Order: sequence, then structure tokens, then C-alpha cells
Amino acid sequence: MTAPTAPARPRPSPRSPSVLDEIAAQRRLDIERDLAGTSTVQLRRDAAAAPPPRDGVRPLLRPGLHLIAEIKRRSPSAGDLPGGSLDIAERARAYQAGGASIISVLVEPHRFGGSPADLRSARAATSLPILAKDFVVDGRQLPLLRAAGADLVLLLARLHPARRLAPLVQQALDLGLEPLVEAHDRRETEAAVATGARLIGINNRDLRTLRVDPGLAERLRDLVPDDRLVVAESGVTDPDLLRTWRALGFDAALVGEALMRSEASAEDIRARTAAFVAAGRVPGPGQDPSGEAREASVKICGITESAGLRRALAAGVDAIGFNFVPGTRRALAEAEAEALIADARGATHAGAGPRLVGIFADRDPRELAAIATRLGLDEVQLHGNEPPEALDAIPLPVRKVLQLPAQSGAQNGTESTVQAVLDKAAPYRARPNLAGFLLDTADPRLTGGTGRRSATDLAAGVARSLPVILAGGLTAANVAEALREIPALGVDVASGVDAVTDGSGRGAKDPFLVALFIKRARAARLDLPALAARPEVADPGLLEPDERGRWGRERRFGGRFVPETLMAALGELDDAWRAIRLDTAFWAELRERSQRYVGRPTPLYRADRLAAAVAEASGTPAPGLRLYLKREDLAHTGAHKINNALGQALIAKRLGKPRVVAETGAGQHGVATATACALLDLECVVYMGAEDIERQRPNVQRMHALGAQVHPVTSGGATLKDAVNEALRDWETTVATTHYVLGSAVGPHPFPALVRDLQRVIGDEAAAQMMAVEGRLPDAAVACLGGGSNGIGLFARFIGEPAVRLVGVEAGGEGLAGRHAAALAGGSEGVLHGARSYLLQDAEGQVTEAHSISAGLDYPGIGPQLAALFEAGRMEVLSATDQQAVAGLRLVARTEGILPALEPAHAVAALPTLVRGDAPGGPLPSEPLILLGLSGRGDKDLAALADAHETDDG
Amino acid sequence: MTAEPTTGSRRIDGAFGAASDAGRAALIPYVLAGYPDAAGALAAALAAIDGGGNVLEIGLPYSDPLADGPTLQRASRVALANGADLGSALELISAVRAARPATPLVVMGYVNQFLRGRDGASFERMAGAGADGLIIADLTPDDGPEVEEVALVAGLDLVYLVAPTTAPQRIGRIAARSRGFLYAVSLVGVTGARRSLPSGVATFLHRVRAVSPVPVAVGFGVSRPAHVRRLAPLADGIVVASALIDALGPDGRDADRMRTLVTELAAATER
Repeated sequence: MTAPTAPARPRPSPRSPSVLDEIAAQRRLDIERDLAGTSTVQLRRDAAAAPPPRDGVRPLLRPGLHLIAEIKRRSPSAGDLPGGSLDIAERARAYQAGGASIISVLVEPHRFGGSPADLRSARAATSLPILAKDFVVDGRQLPLLRAAGADLVLLLARLHPARRLAPLVQQALDLGLEPLVEAHDRRETEAAVATGARLIGINNRDLRTLRVDPGLAERLRDLVPDDRLVVAESGVTDPDLLRTWRALGFDAALVGEALMRSEASAEDIRARTAAFVAAGRVPGPGQDPSGEAREASVKICGITESAGLRRALAAGVDAIGFNFVPGTRRALAEAEAEALIADARGATHAGAGPRLVGIFADRDPRELAAIATRLGLDEVQLHGNEPPEALDAIPLPVRKVLQLPAQSGAQNGTESTVQAVLDKAAPYRARPNLAGFLLDTADPRLTGGTGRRSATDLAAGVARSLPVILAGGLTAANVAEALREIPALGVDVASGVDAVTDGSGRGAKDPFLVALFIKRARAARLDLPALAARPEVADPGLLEPDERGRWGRERRFGGRFVPETLMAALGELDDAWRAIRLDTAFWAELRERSQRYVGRPTPLYRADRLAAAVAEASGTPAPGLRLYLKREDLAHTGAHKINNALGQALIAKRLGKPRVVAETGAGQHGVATATACALLDLECVVYMGAEDIERQRPNVQRMHALGAQVHPVTSGGATLKDAVNEALRDWETTVATTHYVLGSAVGPHPFPALVRDLQRVIGDEAAAQMMAVEGRLPDAAVACLGGGSNGIGLFARFIGEPAVRLVGVEAGGEGLAGRHAAALAGGSEGVLHGARSYLLQDAEGQVTEAHSISAGLDYPGIGPQLAALFEAGRMEVLSATDQQAVAGLRLVARTEGILPALEPAHAVAALPTLVRGDAPGGPLPSEPLILLGLSGRGDKDLAALADAHETDDG
Repeated sequence: MTAEPTTGSRRIDGAFGAASDAGRAALIPYVLAGYPDAAGALAAALAAIDGGGNVLEIGLPYSDPLADGPTLQRASRVALANGADLGSALELISAVRAARPATPLVVMGYVNQFLRGRDGASFERMAGAGADGLIIADLTPDDGPEVEEVALVAGLDLVYLVAPTTAPQRIGRIAARSRGFLYAVSLVGVTGARRSLPSGVATFLHRVRAVSPVPVAVGFGVSRPAHVRRLAPLADGIVVASALIDALGPDGRDADRMRTLVTELAAATER
């Protein structure tokens, strides 16, 4: 991914001028000569006479990363550019057709072959805003460029001392030019930011030496606060880099050489442009349901004038707040509010558009209700000390404001303060018209460093247990970070997006800040699926491991019971896992591959015929039973295993390990790993029990076809547990060059957590899909349990939702009194494969061979997080025998035309018990809604099905 | 290490001390309880001591020995198939203790075997039968505290392991928690006789010894006198396991042949 660079040039010394210095000096001479005899007044008049500027900032405020496509005939680094032969107007039109948002035109004549005429041509040929790329050394160049039609102008921080840069920025703005202030290092970036400019560019190319450092923009990104738009420039050869830049929070990318490099037709240019534009897009509606579900809602408060209202509407705000608290700065008279509300309703379609909220404090509830009704508000916000009973007098949804008290940093203090807030909120929750809470934090800008930290900790503590909207001191600069640290459902901002006023105004909104605030808030969690985005009501030990990798209410399960030899590799993997949880670029890449290659999102399918058959089999009428199948069988390779294999293969690459080992039972994980390794060019070795090789031949053939080596394991019972042992032995020996892609939620820490993070997309997606079609979460989530990866993948989303029952179905084999694989129902606590959990063992701790007709469930253990859920009573456990599983497979096949694998057929087989009310959690509510994880397809099991059929009566 | 030294510790310390005084590394042969059967295991144990072993390691067969190579995997399977269990292992320990009162006996196994007697019964029973120490192949100090406590109460020295992959600063931390001695795994891999020792073993042992307050015993892969000769100046003790199981022959009964090998190895321990 390296950009072409110039032959190495000597580092500029004070004596020898750099390329930039030479160009700048020449421009000074040019301007002196060109403008001799032209007065500033004349220049300004010419500028004023130019066509009005196009808004170059608005396109960048939309979600995602946008393309600034550049036109230049040659450059000092690349020489004459072949693409320069194409007519400028045609090229500009091709850029626009490809979806570029802004066109950059080189104006410098000597080294780049540009001119103001090029600027005019590009502008005339398109409707896009034009960025004039000149080397501005003289303020008079600004009106000159505006006169030629420029809409944005480049200012290089390198060329001006700080005291000159800010006035230049202001001068450009006064002329109607939007300045893009460009930097190449830390000092320049800080100087650029200090000017207050709204557009900051970071150029990977050093204009002194012409060398390109493609990682520079990434490294300097954090120096630019989020209340500016940030542009990354140069070093682009592959559209993938734009995807990474978007994930890192860049709003635009400037691409020049990659588009000018070859003599291409207009159509080729359009296509290449479109590829870059596509790479910067955020997922479209429906492409990432779980990402959409994590998105925070945004409310803009304290609207006082219609311009501000329209800006908020145009930016797609979710709710607008009107202040009715007398004596406060933005308080509205009823008549004023009426006008604004009419405006808001008129501007949007009925039913669409933001919620209109009235904010009151300690007003008489009936008076308040009357106002709200007269104005036709959607919601009322109570900002004072109103008692819970006040809600009863208000015939609208009510949001109650909770004040977050100031707090010094002691940990116990935090817990008890959080509890105090939760206790205060409790009586309001009983009110049927409570819409939620708004958590008003102390303004973090008023308290110092530790004050801010403890306010965040307090807010996070409350938001973990209570659904809240976060308010208080939020701005475009800090809202993303706040949403990442605090699992609030939404944010509320008032003064944080105000225009800078002279103090007499009533807080008119700055359109730029309003739009940017919304962009930052909505993007905050898009690429962070491992972070909590809502309250989770559950013991922390059921949700996350501690630093020792222990799960459970008493932190008893999990850990790292492995030979010391493996500890270094586990430490390395632990570091990688922690880093990845917060690595937006990693998740952006994984999501894109999941969409394009794996075929996500997988469908959520309502299986009515199966539901009817289940109701019948349960012997109860079960009216209104709705059964949804989460179709992981439709993912590439035919099972959920690919989610984990692909993610871990990407991690192996990240760790620099060229080789991967894996264990496999049914072969699905082996196939998934072989698949990911073929895609990512990794050597793949799969250990498979000799028994399993026999009963899952097709998968063995697939692995060979994909280029993997399959090593038969003959030790022990020659099934999954022995394959794990052998894979661990291999890893102990080859640990320096090899990553172990463990296939289930078992093993030493961090594997259970890592696999969970990679599989939780199953339940995250299913929840979002179900909300969209049913408007609520399921009453029960049901999954088969082998090692537990598809189980925890489905369940993770719901652990913190007490109303959703978690039902795991184990492999009952010949029956729990005979040979089986039910570690929870038929096992006991102990250590297997590095983790303390439940397993099948004898009185002396010797591990018992499991038995199941399904190779994927034929494992005598279970993952530690699932053990913790079971031990806490959060997960109910059922089992299905071999025979019942076969019957379940047949049932799905004949009622829905879907052939599930034998593994999820176990889950299907248990449904009648659940529906009948005989599961440990008792009867389901009426009109029950059930979500079942269909973890894989059953082509591999047709032989077993045929065998079973032969022994049947019919 | 402020606890009262138990009989076990004294026996182990004594063995290392005596070897050191004699200008040699201690030889630590390994036998597998129940292999090929109870009688065969006892014969092998006595032969290993009489052949020159200073400390005897007694392995407990396990269904899932993930730190072991094919030799010990196979031997475990045979022993388990022939009915080996904790009871017969305890009988072996008692018998050896009675027959050779001065030789420290260190039991080696996997954590789940010992957890099963979570109330400490298995530890107490082993100590009662005469065991002095314990090596748990899949236990590190990170998850060790509960086990350390039970071992301490039972009077058994819990020996930890370090490996060539262990980070330098971690070696010292593990060594500080290890009682009796510290087991330095010579190679990155599983047990099993190797033709040659890994390069870098000398540097590794030097690093380990520099920070260990307890004697350092090296093991994994040692199979011939040349290995022992090379390692003797580098470590306080040398463990030989798979090579001895191999020496017992395919039926596991050639205790004489094994004893001869032990004698040859013991001769090579002189520094």
C-alpha cells in the first residue's frame, strides 16, 4: 500500500531550500508580477462579482468519509501525469458522476501546470464545490482565487507563522472562501487547529522532501478535536485505506495521483472514483442492523429561532427541545413556541420528523399538560423536583431529568452515589407514561481532570442500569468519547452547539456545529460492537471476565489452566484482544468482509409452519406462537463458525503469524478456518478426530480443497476433545509462528471472551431485526450448546435483558442416564482445556468421553461464560437425545424446506418442552415470541439422517 | 518462604543439597503410576531409585495430558486401561516411601485430577502416603493461589514451571512462588525424548538460576548421558521421563534395562 515516492532527497538544511520553499518563493514573484498595478479594491470587486460560492462544508457533514478528487497535470514527485491528457471538464464531470463531493484543482503553474482557467473549467463543468490548490503566500491570492470561482482554498500551515495564519483564515472566510488548513506534523497540526478553521487537512506527503508516509494522518488524527472536519491527504493507492480512514474519524480524503496516474477514459475515471467513494460510505439502511441499533439518538435543546430549527431538521435530529422554564436564557413564550412547532410539523411528513419535546421545571402539572396539549407536543421533560405522581396528571410521555451529583473519586463513593441516583429514579419507573430519563451530568468543563473522570464513571454507572439520555456539557468535540464510555441511549445538547454570540442573543444555533454534533454522535459506536450501548441488568461476572479471565458471580469459572509454555502467547493474544475491542478500523474491515464475503446480515426468518408443528407437538394450543429462526446456515460456509474464524484469522495477520492451527469436530470450524486462511493467505493445519473424519467426510474434502492440511487425531476417543488436545500441543511447540484459532467459546482466557465478541453479531443482529419486525425483543432465545459459541453468540445481547429467557439445549445422546454430551445437565465443575467450567468426568477427574450423533456437540465441556450463566440461574438448560435431534431435523425440513444441521436440530427438538411450559423457567407468556439460533446447515448430516431413517418404522 | 519446612521440604532440600555437596546435579527420574500395571510401576520406581535417582517423580495417568507427547500419552492410556486410579497411585507412593525412606517423591499430574478432591483430600492423602511435593503441568501462579493454599496445608511442596517462552521478569515472580524446586522446561513443546537439546538452553538456564531462590531442575527431552553431561553444570537437577518409559520397552516391564539407563545418566551428572 505504498504510494510512489520521489527519489530520496537530502533533508532540507537551512541552506538548501526545500521543494516547498522554492515553490513558495516563485509564487511570491508571480503574484508581485501579476498583480502589479492591480489595487486591492479592484481585487475585492472582482471577487464580489464572481458567482456565489458553493457550500464545500455541507457535503462533508453527511455521514461517512467523502472524496475530494483532484485534478493536476503534473507534480514535482510524479512528473507529468498521464491522466493530464484528458480534458479538464470531462475529468471533472467523471469525478462528479463517480460521486466525489468536492473537486480539487491545482492552480500553481510551474510545477503543477495549473491555472485559474483550470479552476473555471472544472467549476463550469460540474455543480460541485471547487477547492483551489494554490500555494497561498500573499493575501491577495485569496480574492484572486474567489474571482476565478474557487469555493474552498488551501492554506499551508508550513508557509505561515501562527500570527499570520489565523488572519488569513478569517480573510478567506470574509471573502466567502472556506479555508482548508493543511498540516504535516504535530506542530503544524496544532497551529492549524489554533486558527479555529473548520476544515483541517493532514497531508501524508512532506512537501519539503516529497516523501509520503501513509500512516501519518492516522497518527496525527487525535490532535484534531472532533469539532472540526478532518481531511486525510495523499498516499492512497487502494480504496481500502479510505475505509480505514473513515473508521478513524476522517470526514474526507483527498485523492490525486491515484486518479491521475493512468491515461484512462472518462468512464474508467468515473468507475475508479466510485470505488473510492464507496469505500468511505457508512453501511446503508439494513446492511448493519446491529450497528443501527447501537446508534445513539440525538436531541437538540433550547431552539429559539426558526433558522436553528431548520438546521436541526436538515441534519436529521431525533428530537427537538423547547424550553418553557421562565427566567432561563432560552425560555419561550407560548406564542413563539407555537410558531416554531408549526414550522417543524410543516417541514416534515406526518409521522416522520423529530419528536417535539417541551421542557418544564416544577410547573403545576395540569398547567403544564394544558400547554403541552395546546401546542401538540410529543413529549414533556421534567427538569425540576417534580414527584412521581406529577406524571399521572400529564397525558403525554414524560422524560424525567436526573441530576448527577458532584463526586470525589473514591470507588466506594462512586458505587453508593450511583445507587442513590438509581434509588431516586425507581419510583418514576412505575409510571406507565415514563418515556425514560435524562441524566444531567455536572458540566465536565467546569470540573477539572479528576472531576471529569469521576463524572464519567458516575454517569456510566447509572447508564449501565438505567436507560438514559446523556446531557450536560456535550459538544461535537466530546460527544463521541462520552458515548463510548457511557452506555447511554442518546444525547442531548443545548449550548454546546450555539453560535458564538455577543452575549445578548438567546443562543442561536450554529448550523455547522449542529450538523457536526449529530455526525459525531451517530458515528460514535458504529465500529465498536464490543462496547455496551445500552443498560445491561446483570451481574458483571455474567457479562465480562475480570483481568484473570474469570467469569461468574464469584469469579469462579474460566482462568488459564495451561502449561506455562503457552502463557506468553496468551498474554500476547490478550493484549491484541483488548486493543481490538477498541479498534474501529479492525471492526470496519471485519464488517465489510462479513457483508461482502460472508453475506451478513443473515436473515431472521419467521417459521410459521414449524411453529404450528411445535405447538402441536407440545400438546398445548399455544395461540399466537411466533417462532423466528436466525439463519446462520445461510452464512458463507454454511454455519456460524465463519464469524469467529474470519475474525481470528485477521488477528493472526495482525500478530504477524503466518500459520494457523485449529481443532474441529463436525468439520464446520475446520472448513471456516480453512476458508479464512485461503482468503487471507495463511497456512492452515486442522486437527480432527479420526472418528469425526469418518462421519463428516464432505467437510474433510472441503478443507483439502481449500488448501488446508487435515491431521487425524487417534488419541483418546478420537473426537473433538482430543483434537483440541492435539491442537494445543501443536501450539505449545510452534507458538512463535502460529496462532491457534480456537473454534468455540472454551479454552484459556482470552479465548472465551474473544470468541464471544466475534459471535455476538448473531444475537445483536437478530435483536435489531426482531425489533424492526415485531417491535420488541423475544420472550426466549434458544440455542444448542456444544462448546457454546453459537449459544453465547445468540445470548450475549440478551443477558442484560431480564425479560428474555436464555434456553440452552445440550446433546442428550442416548439419554442422560446413558452416554451423552451434556456437560451442564450431566457433568460437574472442573478444568478442561484451560478453563474452569463444567465437564463430564469421573470421580477422579478423568475426563469422560462424550457421545452425540452430532459431531459438533460431541464435546464433554462447555464454555466458562455459559457455565457462569447456568450457575447463576440466568440460563435454563434442556437436552435432546440423538433420536429427538434427528426428528427435529426432519421436522424443519418438512415444514419449512430448510435442512438444519443436527446440532441446531437439538434446539428445535426442545421447543415443545419450552412451549408446553415444562422448561425450568416455567410457562412462557401468552402469544410467545421465540428466537432460535439455526447455527448451520445439514448437508453434512444427510448420511446420518439416512441411517436413522433405515432404523425407523416409517 | 516463611512457612515451617515440612518433612517433605526437608527431604527435597536434602536431596538437592547432598547432590550439590557431592559436586553433581541431582538426577530426577520419572515413572508413571500404574504403568504398565501396579506391580510393574513399583518395580520401575524402585529400579529408578536404585539406579541412581536422587528424587523420584511419580506421574499420575490422565485422560487428557495436553503437555505430553506420544510416549507419555500412550503410557497413560495403557495404565488407565489397566485400572490405574488414585487409590493405586497412593499405594505405589506408600510402598516406595516404605521401601526407600530417604528419597523425596514428587507427584506430577494435571490440575483437574487434583481438584476433584477439592476439600484437599487428594493432597492430604498423597502427603499421608509419603509424597513430598507436587508438580501440576497446567497450573501457573496466575491461577494457583487456591491450590497453593491447599498444598501448604497438606504439607506438600507445590513446584511451578518456567519455560523458554516465559518473559524474563515473570521468571523471577514464578520462582518466588515455587516451593521445593523450580522446574525449567528446556524446550518449547511437549514431553518426549529428543535427539538433541535445544540451542539456547544454556542461556535460558543461566537466566533462571540467576533469579531462583530454590534449586532449578531442567526437564523435557532429556534422553542420553550426553544431554545430562551438558546440563549438569547448568542446573541443580535434571529430569528424565519419556526416555525411561521408552527404556521399559514396548510392554513396559523391562525395569532392568531402565535401571541401566538411569545408572548411565547418573554417572553423567558429575560436574
